[in-house]
Amino acid sequence: MLAAAAALISPDGRNPQPVHLIRPAAAPLSAMAQLGRLVFFDPSLSSSGALSCASCHSPQHAYGPPNDLPVMAGGANLKRQGLRAVPSLMYLERQPNFSIGPESGENEGLATPAPASNAVPQGGLFWDGRANTLQSQALGPLLNPLEMDGGSAARVAAKLRRAPYAWRMVQLFGAAVFARANVAVNEALFAVARYQIEDPSFHPYSSKFDAWLEGKARLSPAEARGYALFGDPRRANCAACHLDRPGGDGLPPLFTDAQFEALGVPRNAALAANRDPAYHDLGICGPVRTDLKTATQYCGMFKTPTLRNVATRHAFFHNGVYHSLEGVLDFYTYREAKPQRVYSGAKYDDLPAAYRANIDTVDAPFDRKRGQAPPLTPAQERDIIAFLHTLTDGYR
Amino acid sequence: MKRIVALCTVLAFVVCSGSVPLSAQSARGGTATPIKHLVILYGENVSFDHYFATYPKAANPPDEPVFRALPNTPAVNNLLTAHLLHNNPNLTNPANGADAADPFRLDDTQAYTTDQNHAYTAEQQAYNGGRADLFPKYTGKGTPGGAGAFGTRGQVMGYYDGNTVTALWRYAQHYAMSDNAYTDTYGPSTPGALEVVSGQTNGMLAIATTAKPATATDYSYYVNDGQGGLTMINDVDPASDVCSKPDDNAFMAGKNIGDLLNDAGITWGGFMAGFDLTVKNPNGTTGCKRSTYSPIVGQNVADYIPHHNWFAYYPSTVNSTHNRPSSIKAIGHTLGADGVKDPANHEYDLEDFYAAVKTGNFPAVSYIKAASYQDGHAGYSDPLDEQAAIVRLVNFLQRRPEWKDTAVILTWDDSDGWYDHAFAKTTSPSSDGADQLDGNGTCGSGQALPGVGGKPVNGRCGPGTRIPFLVVSPWAKTNHVSHTLITQASVVRFIEDNWLHGQRLGGGSFDASAGSIMDMFDFHMSAAMPVLLLDARTGNPVPSH
Repeated sequence: MLAAAAALISPDGRNPQPVHLIRPAAAPLSAMAQLGRLVFFDPSLSSSGALSCASCHSPQHAYGPPNDLPVMAGGANLKRQGLRAVPSLMYLERQPNFSIGPESGENEGLATPAPASNAVPQGGLFWDGRANTLQSQALGPLLNPLEMDGGSAARVAAKLRRAPYAWRMVQLFGAAVFARANVAVNEALFAVARYQIEDPSFHPYSSKFDAWLEGKARLSPAEARGYALFGDPRRANCAACHLDRPGGDGLPPLFTDAQFEALGVPRNAALAANRDPAYHDLGICGPVRTDLKTATQYCGMFKTPTLRNVATRHAFFHNGVYHSLEGVLDFYTYREAKPQRVYSGAKYDDLPAAYRANIDTVDAPFDRKRGQAPPLTPAQERDIIAFLHTLTDGYR
Repeated sequence: MKRIVALCTVLAFVVCSGSVPLSAQSARGGTATPIKHLVILYGENVSFDHYFATYPKAANPPDEPVFRALPNTPAVNNLLTAHLLHNNPNLTNPANGADAADPFRLDDTQAYTTDQNHAYTAEQQAYNGGRADLFPKYTGKGTPGGAGAFGTRGQVMGYYDGNTVTALWRYAQHYAMSDNAYTDTYGPSTPGALEVVSGQTNGMLAIATTAKPATATDYSYYVNDGQGGLTMINDVDPASDVCSKPDDNAFMAGKNIGDLLNDAGITWGGFMAGFDLTVKNPNGTTGCKRSTYSPIVGQNVADYIPHHNWFAYYPSTVNSTHNRPSSIKAIGHTLGADGVKDPANHEYDLEDFYAAVKTGNFPAVSYIKAASYQDGHAGYSDPLDEQAAIVRLVNFLQRRPEWKDTAVILTWDDSDGWYDHAFAKTTSPSSDGADQLDGNGTCGSGQALPGVGGKPVNGRCGPGTRIPFLVVSPWAKTNHVSHTLITQASVVRFIEDNWLHGQRLGGGSFDASAGSIMDMFDFHMSAAMPVLLLDARTGNPVPSH
C-alpha cells in the first residue's frame, strides 16, 4: 500500500504525473439553454407556486438539497415528504443509459464500459436509473405529487403558455408549440436539459483534486493519506466504484462507475413512508420504478452517485439516513465488523430477508467478519474525509 | 468520349448532348465521363425530409449558423412544398394514438436525439401502402440516446434545417442534389450497405445463427427467399470479421462491384474509420474496442461497426483480420509492389485514404465510412459530429489537384425510420410474412424479381425509404435538384457505366434497373467551378486560400 501511495503522490503532495484535463467546452448559452434556465428557476410550474427545479437542486449547494433534511418536502402545501434524498444534478453529462449486462444488438455502436460482471446494472438517472435523458428525468419531479406536483402535462403546458418566456418557446419551436401539451412540456424540459448540458456550473471540474491532477495543487498530508486509503483495495476500496482516474484522453474522473450496488443502508425512521413496516424502498425493484419488479436479484440496488461535491451535502444515501460524512464512513467501517454500531435493529434492517443476498459482502470494506478489526481506524476515516473535501468545486 | 468532353470544354458555348454514350469509353483505362475518382461517403440513418423538410427555408433563430437560400434555388419535393408541415396525416390518423404528431423543427441544440425503429417490417408498416401516415405508431420507438439527448412522443416527425445541417444545405446550393433517391429495400444498415456495393440483398449465407426467419411479429435479420435460400432484411455482422459477434454472422453469395473492378484492374477501396486495429486512440482504446468520446453524445462510441462494412460480407473482398496494406502505394491495388497479393484486400482504415491521396495515390473508386460518432446515426451520433466528418473530407478533396476529375457522393444507408412523406411505387414486390406494406404478407403486386439464382425471391420489398443524395463535384450542376428516380444501386450503375463499359453484376442485382445519376452532372461546362470550403463546426464558408 505504501509503495502504491508513493507512486500515486509525490512526497511534497504533488501529482507525479500531471495530466491535462479536457473539460466541456464553454460557450455562451444558446437560446435553448437560456430558455431552460428560465424554466429551471420557475416556481409557477409547481402546485404550491413555491417550488422550482432549483428549490431542491440548489445552485448554491452543488445542485443538491439546500438543507439537512433527509428528503425534501413538496406538494400543494409543501408538507408532503419525498421518498428519497435529492441527488445532485451535477456531472451527469456523461451518464450512460440504463442497461443490464452486455450491450444489446440493436444498440449500434455505443461502446459501453465493460462492467465487472455482465449482470451488473448500470447507468440511467435517479437513484433507480429509471430515466435515461435529463429531459425525461426533469418530468419526474415536475409531476410527482410529493414534489412539484405540477398536475398533468396539460396543466404545465397551460402555465408555460402564460409564462413570461412563452415568446421564447414560440421563437424556438414555432407557433404550434402550444397546440399540443406534451410537445410544449417536452420542449421546455429539453431546454432545461440543455441548460444543464451547456452551463459550466453543472460540470466545472474545478475542485482541488482536479487542480492536483493537473499538477497545480498539493495534497496536504492528511488528504494524501486519505487518497491512498480511498484507492486501497484492501481498506476503504472507495475507488472500486467511485472511479478516480482521468481517461487517457483527459476526461476528468466522475467518481462513479454509474453501476448499481446493494449496500444494506439502515432504515431511516425519519421517513414518513417508513412508518409502514411493510414499506421497503427496493431501488431497481421499485416501488418507484415499476418495470423490473420481478428482477429480484437487483432488489435493494441503488445507483452509485458521484462523490464530487459530496462534502457539501447533508443527506447521504438514497434514504438520507446519514447527515455527515462521519456517519457515512462509520457505516462503511462498521457494517460487518460491528453491525451493532450501524443498525438499531436487525442487520440490513431496510431490506426484506429474501433480498439480503444481493448485498455486497465480498469487496472491501465489506469483507470483514463480525468481531474482526474494522477496515478503517477513526484516524483513517478522518483522512478520507479530508480527501473527500478536495472534491468540492471552486478551488482556487 | 474524353476527346468530346475536352472539345466541349474548350468550346464553352457549343451545346453538347447530355447523354454519355458508353461506346465512347476509351480502351486505355479511360472513363465514360471526366470523372476519374469517385468517392462515396456513406452516412447512417437519415431520411430526406429529416434533413431537407423545409429546404431552402431555415428558421434562423438567434445565435445559430444562419442560412439564406440563393434566389434561383429550385423547389424540392419536401414537406414545405407538399404542404405537410401542418395537419399532417401522421397527426390526423387516429391509429397513431398519443404519439400522433405534426412534423416539427429540431434545433441545432437538439442535434443529439433518440433513435427510431428502422427495421424492414416496421418501415413498411409506417409507409402504410404509400400513405406514409403511421410513422409515430411503427417507427417512432427506438433506443433512448444519452443523458443530453432530446426525445419526445412523435419525435419521428422531427426535422433539421439549414441551421443544423448547414454544410449539406450549402453543398446543395453549390452543387447538385436528388430529391428522388431511395434505398433499394426497406430496412436498416446492412441491407443498405449491401445495396450500394452489390445492388441487392438476396443470397445470404448464415455462417452462424441463433435466429429464425422473420415473421410479421418476430424480428429477425433474414427471411426465407422462397427458393431455398435466404434474403437479408435487417442487420447482422459479417462472417469471419474478427470484430463480429460470434453467434450471428453471415456472408453473401453473389458479386459486388469490387469483384468487377478487380477483374478490370481498376483501383478501389473500402475505407472505414476504426478499421486499423493497431491504432490506440487518445482514450486508451484499441483493437475492435477502439472508441472516441463525443462531447455532443456524451459517450465513448465504438469507431468501427462491423455490420456497416460493405465488402466484409463477400469472401472475395473480405479482410477478416484487418490486415494492413503492404505500403501506402499498394492502397487501392490488388497486388503489392512485390507483385504478391496485398494483405489488405482493398479494405482499409479511413486514415489510409487520406494518407494515400496525399501522396497522389487516389483510387478510382473509394467507399468511405466515418467513425461511428460521426456517421449521423441517431442514438450514438448526430448531425453536427457528422458535419465535421463530411466537411473534413470535402474540404480535403477540393484542395487536391485531382479535384478537377473527382466526384463525391454524399448519401445514406437507410432512413433510420425518420418520417419522409415521399413514396416510390413498389417495383420489387415481396410476399413474405415480414412484408406489411400493402397488408399482411404483401408488398406490392406481381411476381418478385429474380435473385442470385435467377428465380423470383422474397425479402426485397422496395424501393424503400427516401434518403438524401448529393453530388459534390466540379462537374456537378450548380444549385440543381434532380427529380430522376434513383436508388443506392444507382451508385453501382454509375461505376459500371463510367469504368466498366456498362457491365452489370447480374445475379439479381438492381444495378441493371436502377436509375441514372447523370442528371446531376453537366460534363459540358468548364471545370473551373470555384470550390466551396466550409467550416467543419458551423458549416459556414471559409476563405478558399
